[in-house]
Amino acid sequence: MGDIKRVLVADDSDTVTTVLATALELEGYEVDKVDNGLAAYEMGITGNYDLIILDHLMPGLLGLEILERWGKEGHNHTTIVLSGVDDDRIAVDSLEAGAVDFVRKPFRMPELLARIRSRLPD
Amino acid sequence: MIHEILRWAGYGTIIYFIFMQVYMIGLGLRSAAVMRRVHHLDRFGRVSEMLSSQTSPPVSIVIPAYNEAAGIVDSVRSMSIVGYPRFEIVVVNDGSTDGTLETLIEAFHLERVRIPYRPDIATAPVRGIYRGRGSFDITVIDKENGGRADALNAGINAARYPYALCTDADVILDANCLIGAMRRVVEDRQRTIGVGGNIRPLNGSKVQLGHLVEARVPKKLVARMQVLEYLRTFLASRPAWSQMGALPLVSGAFGVWKRTAVIAVGGFTTGHMGEDLDLTMRLHRFHIDNEIPYRIVYEPSAVIWTEVPDTLRVLRRQRIRWHRGLMTAVKDFMPMTFNPRYGKVGMITWAAMFLFEYLAPVIEFLGWISILVALVLGVLNTTSLVILLALAFGVGLINSLLALLLDESYGYFNSLKDTLRLIVMALIENLGMRQITVVWRIRAIFGGKGTRVWGNMERKGVANLDGAVQRT
Amino acid sequence: MNETTVGLVILGVVMLVAFAMLIGLVMLKAINRRRALRRRERHSRYVALISRRIAAKDTPEPIDSSTVVDDSFLDAVIDIRNVITGRQIDTLAGIIDGVGLARRQEQRLRSRFPLGRRLRAAVSLAEIGDESTAPVLITHLADREPEIRIQCARGLGRIQYEPAIEAILDRFGLEQPWVRARFADTLVRFGGKATWPLVAFVRANLRHDHNEGVIEAIRVLGVIGDREVGPSLAGILRVATDPEVRIAAIESLGIVGGPLAIRPLKYTFRSTDWRLRAKSATSLGHIGDPSINAVLARGLQDSNWWVRRNTASALAALPGGDELLLHAIGSDDPFARDAAAEALADCGVLAAARERDDAGQATDNDRLLLDYVGAGLQVLS
Repeated sequence: MGDIKRVLVADDSDTVTTVLATALELEGYEVDKVDNGLAAYEMGITGNYDLIILDHLMPGLLGLEILERWGKEGHNHTTIVLSGVDDDRIAVDSLEAGAVDFVRKPFRMPELLARIRSRLPD
Repeated sequence: MIHEILRWAGYGTIIYFIFMQVYMIGLGLRSAAVMRRVHHLDRFGRVSEMLSSQTSPPVSIVIPAYNEAAGIVDSVRSMSIVGYPRFEIVVVNDGSTDGTLETLIEAFHLERVRIPYRPDIATAPVRGIYRGRGSFDITVIDKENGGRADALNAGINAARYPYALCTDADVILDANCLIGAMRRVVEDRQRTIGVGGNIRPLNGSKVQLGHLVEARVPKKLVARMQVLEYLRTFLASRPAWSQMGALPLVSGAFGVWKRTAVIAVGGFTTGHMGEDLDLTMRLHRFHIDNEIPYRIVYEPSAVIWTEVPDTLRVLRRQRIRWHRGLMTAVKDFMPMTFNPRYGKVGMITWAAMFLFEYLAPVIEFLGWISILVALVLGVLNTTSLVILLALAFGVGLINSLLALLLDESYGYFNSLKDTLRLIVMALIENLGMRQITVVWRIRAIFGGKGTRVWGNMERKGVANLDGAVQRT
Repeated sequence: MNETTVGLVILGVVMLVAFAMLIGLVMLKAINRRRALRRRERHSRYVALISRRIAAKDTPEPIDSSTVVDDSFLDAVIDIRNVITGRQIDTLAGIIDGVGLARRQEQRLRSRFPLGRRLRAAVSLAEIGDESTAPVLITHLADREPEIRIQCARGLGRIQYEPAIEAILDRFGLEQPWVRARFADTLVRFGGKATWPLVAFVRANLRHDHNEGVIEAIRVLGVIGDREVGPSLAGILRVATDPEVRIAAIESLGIVGGPLAIRPLKYTFRSTDWRLRAKSATSLGHIGDPSINAVLARGLQDSNWWVRRNTASALAALPGGDELLLHAIGSDDPFARDAAAEALADCGVLAAARERDDAGQATDNDRLLLDYVGAGLQVLS
């Protein structure tokens, strides 16, 4: 496996994607950004990413719906779900649908980076 | 002698038309002032952050559904993430025959329940009530077919909250529409009994799973004409009417109503072709007659998107139906027309509705006939005629351009091409399109093939009954 | 000058106006588009710049002081502020200070017009202001523009500037309903610190009617939820004569709870005004003390529909309440039966009964409930 880890960041707010992408690139990862659910769903399948960060509330497809679809189609991605909505149900549902972690917005950057580092497969 | 009559009839029609357009320009300018404030608040007010307030009055979203199995689940889901702290969704299955009820039960894990359902408004028999206990409160009323008005009445009966948003299943709600509308309620809780919304044609826009991704001007001319028409009404007329306190119509596709007020006047009238116009006017009449302080307002930021007819055939049916509804309303509310007792509603907005919407087809039709006859007989001064026609065209054009300028504040149509398309539309619509609608409305008045009423709500293409929209 | 000439002149004017509008529209569109594109591009650039500063471990690149006049920079700062939290906020605050962003917005707020810019300044200060911004915000609590007043209060709430509580309360009774509701949100934000000033406000301003400010204040007390305020609310409930005030007090007492709340609520539950009874039922349910079950159960036979309905919901939430509700399924009163059935569905008892029935383990009570719900719908009059 290549040394450089590839990460996909999906969020409809370009502030979030830029902030995350910048921090991740400084850590040495290769980052792709996407701003809607449908694109996230497709790129997740074709893009061969080591980690996917998925916002929940996106136009086109909700993060949860994307996870469910991937699950149904047999794709196994390492996914962290982000959400600005403070709803426990979304956290539970996301984790049950296969996400490895759930982070609320606003997030603490060092903490999120630590979670990402620990979740990335070696 | 006949020649004199013909001449005056001909000129008279054109002058009538010019007056109508000038009235609309006046409204447009007044609306522009109202919209300026709205523009600032929208851009900088960060209204959406007020979403988490716990003091917002709760709302019941009432959705009548007839044979909507194909899209009802997506529709309810997208409405369930509307930005508002406390609400419930009440779907009324109006005797569907395509499995709408079953689709709902399965998708939302509904269970059959019994609740103390009290028919404050009489409706067709209710067969059963279902509730879900998921992430949002949903109640489904299953009843025998009775039409849209009947379904709405049943939904209002079952609604738990003091305010009911009456809308349609195929409507796309903008994220802030409910907060915008309820803001008007909170401003004056005691008096506000109704808030109307801003309807935009969805045709041609990019939609994904019940969310609007990008607004675009439709390719088909028929739909494009309506884009302009809706802009003229919802941006250039209604804000002014609302500010005058004389809003004659809250459209059926989006209307927030105070439950008790609607019940007090007996709910929506079943079988009426324009039940939204009828309800609004009845509420005006009731409150004025009984000297109860009230207000019915329009909120430009309560934006919703809906599909409009994209073929002449379907459009024709819709316009005939609207005009029929208007005819019934004119008859019912004749005592209010030009009656100072009813304030600005009676003297200005309803009077204008009567003059410029109802009488219009008759006047224009006779006018055009007169002009043609007069031309043939060589009676008409061609120069004056041409000047007047050009004037009518110019004033109509100004109206449309005013609406387009007002739309700039929303910035929905991003591409210059879309704006140019609409400008071209504005230029050509005065040359032919209007005349077609005149013919349709004449048919509506005098009956004839294809204008008969049908029992069930028509499903394909024309789902919601928007009341009389401002003329093309 | 004959008719035709007059006609031509008017026509000329109209056409000119139309033409001007047309050109104006096209130009406006083109300009707006370009502006929006540039703004978005600058916004992205600033977000990237600030992100690098926040994430960087080494010497940060300097930020051009020209950014202070750029609204896109302000937007970028605010957007980032809404996305991250924790220590990076300090870095962000440092950036804001470094370019004097807050100072500039204060200047704009103080200017006389235009409205758009002033409002934007108020919103920005609400988002990025700090203690030093507080005096400006307090002054503009009395601004002539309601939206600006709202944003100033919002800002003061965000920085938790306590002296603002009194200033807001001073305006509470005079404000328009929309502004007052938003002020109420801010007071909620202050939480416990606002509790006693609110109580003092209520006591000082309670009248026979026109109590809108007092009512809102009582609601805020409920939302803040400080238990200690229970006895004060009970006291207000006792002395108030305005039914709207009493209803608000009942509601807030229900949320706040406490041992002293039950007695006044039991009393209002017997009021002659159905609204007080209905609200009391809900509040008693919130308090959750099963000792009142028997008292509440009487509400199922109340003459008023809403009281019955609220009573049923309240019972559903109380331990032992569902017993009483199941008992009501067998009552003669159709309202009581349906209200009980609704409450049992809402709290999940119905679903549980169905599950047991599917597994062949339905109890007698389950059967009673399921038979009732399964029977044809009786429309009440």
